[in-house]
Amino acid sequence: MRQTVLITGGTGMVGRELLPKLCSDEAVENVIVLTRGTTQSVLNSKIQVLHGDVCKPDLGLEEACRQSIARHITTIIHGASETSFHLVLSEARAINVGGLENVLRFALNCPCLKAFCHLSTVYVAGKRTGVIHENDLRHDCGFVNSYEQSKYEAEELLSSQAHRLPIATVRLSTVLGRSTDGTVTKTGAIHSALRFFFHSLAPLVPGTDESPVDLIALDYAAESVALLALQQFVPGATWHICGGSDAFSLTEFLEQTLQLFYQNRPAWRKRAIEKPAIVNLKTFELFVKSIEDLGDSVLKNSVFVLKSFAPQLAYPKLISDVKTQRALSSCGVTRPRIRDFYPKVIRFLLENNWEAMPQAQASLSVRQ
Amino acid sequence: MSPGIGAIEYVLPAGSFSLQELADAELLASSPSQLQDFGFDRCYISTEPADELALRAAAALITNADVDPESIDLLLYASALSQNHQLATEHSLSGFNYPAAKIQYELGLTRANVAGISQAGCTGLNYAIKFAADILQANDSANRILCVSADVLPKGSKREIFYNVISDGACALLVERRPQRNQIIAQRSITKGYYWDCISRKNEIMAAYFPTAKNLFQELLRAAECDPKDLRMVFPHNVSLRSWEILLDLIGVRKDQLFSENIPKKGHVIGADNWINLKDAMASGALNPGDKLLAFNFGFGANWTATLIEH
Repeated sequence: MRQTVLITGGTGMVGRELLPKLCSDEAVENVIVLTRGTTQSVLNSKIQVLHGDVCKPDLGLEEACRQSIARHITTIIHGASETSFHLVLSEARAINVGGLENVLRFALNCPCLKAFCHLSTVYVAGKRTGVIHENDLRHDCGFVNSYEQSKYEAEELLSSQAHRLPIATVRLSTVLGRSTDGTVTKTGAIHSALRFFFHSLAPLVPGTDESPVDLIALDYAAESVALLALQQFVPGATWHICGGSDAFSLTEFLEQTLQLFYQNRPAWRKRAIEKPAIVNLKTFELFVKSIEDLGDSVLKNSVFVLKSFAPQLAYPKLISDVKTQRALSSCGVTRPRIRDFYPKVIRFLLENNWEAMPQAQASLSVRQ
Repeated sequence: MSPGIGAIEYVLPAGSFSLQELADAELLASSPSQLQDFGFDRCYISTEPADELALRAAAALITNADVDPESIDLLLYASALSQNHQLATEHSLSGFNYPAAKIQYELGLTRANVAGISQAGCTGLNYAIKFAADILQANDSANRILCVSADVLPKGSKREIFYNVISDGACALLVERRPQRNQIIAQRSITKGYYWDCISRKNEIMAAYFPTAKNLFQELLRAAECDPKDLRMVFPHNVSLRSWEILLDLIGVRKDQLFSENIPKKGHVIGADNWINLKDAMASGALNPGDKLLAFNFGFGANWTATLIEH
């Protein structure tokens, strides 16, 4: 059967990487990219860019347009979300839960819909510790930031609709860059934290020596999502795209990073910058409060970034992807090893002065 | 037997001022309440030059410890501030008027060579002690070295540096080959020249402080096979109590092991804090023979020093 895919969040970091994977699937006839932004240089004939907004009723589409596309859609990949860690909960909720609600309502009017693939985060586990399995969701441990909580609430909403729609959830871990050449197409909190480390502005990290630092490659994330949304779609399934047992420990992550800075910037060694010290959460919070009290702008920026996500390391968890690995490996998808691609990402970031690849270059990958 | 600290004397100026008085005189950058939150209450401001305070501290040591001035082999004079290393007048030659030589003459230390230690910020006196101990171990003919530090900020200076309240003061220590108490078990220091520009690298210095201090502590204690729990007392440099709370956790030392009572009362007496605190702790009767004591200091440059002592 020929497939028509609607993707939200297609211009985001994972979405942009996902588009060429979807287009290269022979079963896919059309890919409709719902976006609020301006039209990009999309040169693939399968792609149709549609201006809309998941936060608006009917996705911000004219009735005729909405009905016209709804008739053909076989797969929805909902990746649009607010990924900032700094929003107040009501703002994050409006986009991550409210947006999903609108897309679900739209999906109910798609007569040919076979698959609704929701992109989420492994950090819906919030402040849980220990092993987190794919089927786990509900807990009362709390969350590190509004992003985690709003994505958790979005998954709860999905659960309530599971009897009405063919829904699968793909939870992604922290995406670092491409495994092939280390390219970073969009920088996030993890890249900013590394930059602060390089500039000797990240002295303390909460956590324990053994806290897993779970990072994944962008291409692996995109390839896995494409597969799990199309060929390997299983209604009711939840998948973990994560480092799992391959994750760095926090100590190893910091040590590796320091060594890579040395290797790529030999002159940097003269600075004798120390690895950030690993501290308990109480001490980290005291440090954050002290810096915030001081009104010192540069260190304040560092603290602002770190406090938004690093406390997650104080709740050590091993994200299990046993079930997902089984499904992906049966299709020939192998998870790139973090120890292989992390050096490439660091080299890319240093060579590009901590900037992501310009969007114009990144979008070339969408071309035929 | 390792050398140790045979005697300590210190001098603080007569003038002591509350945070509010300092704020009223526009000598603070932060609000009094914020600095109070960081553990400060008041500081000392001298109307005398540094060399006078140094001379008084050294003279008190010679007298109170009943030291024969001619038994001193070396006088090391330390100050964080370059202007405290000369008795300057308008005459161009006055740059060569050194306080160390003046102290040697005034106190009759006729056998002592003299030298100054500068460019080590607040760690100058700690470096003096380190060099003194090293010299005593390397040179059998030397037995006593007098280390003196004096720091007086220029008149009208702000009394707040990096959110710490600064006092003027002087301290004198006698480093001896065979001390009765306070044997130096181990010393470690780190200098990181990357931070030489303390103005433009202010943020980086504040960030580097904790992880570097942690590593220094751990290396020192590992070398001395000493567990942090076994430390009877840690003598701080009198910087923000908030920063000490963070550092204590990093090094696994309890708050009750920190001798912090001088932070509010005396402020940060630049190079002298550790040893003023040791002197006061001894005077209070809180220490017993065999107690393990640790002094830690940080100075611009940037320098980190730590000294482990057995009382």
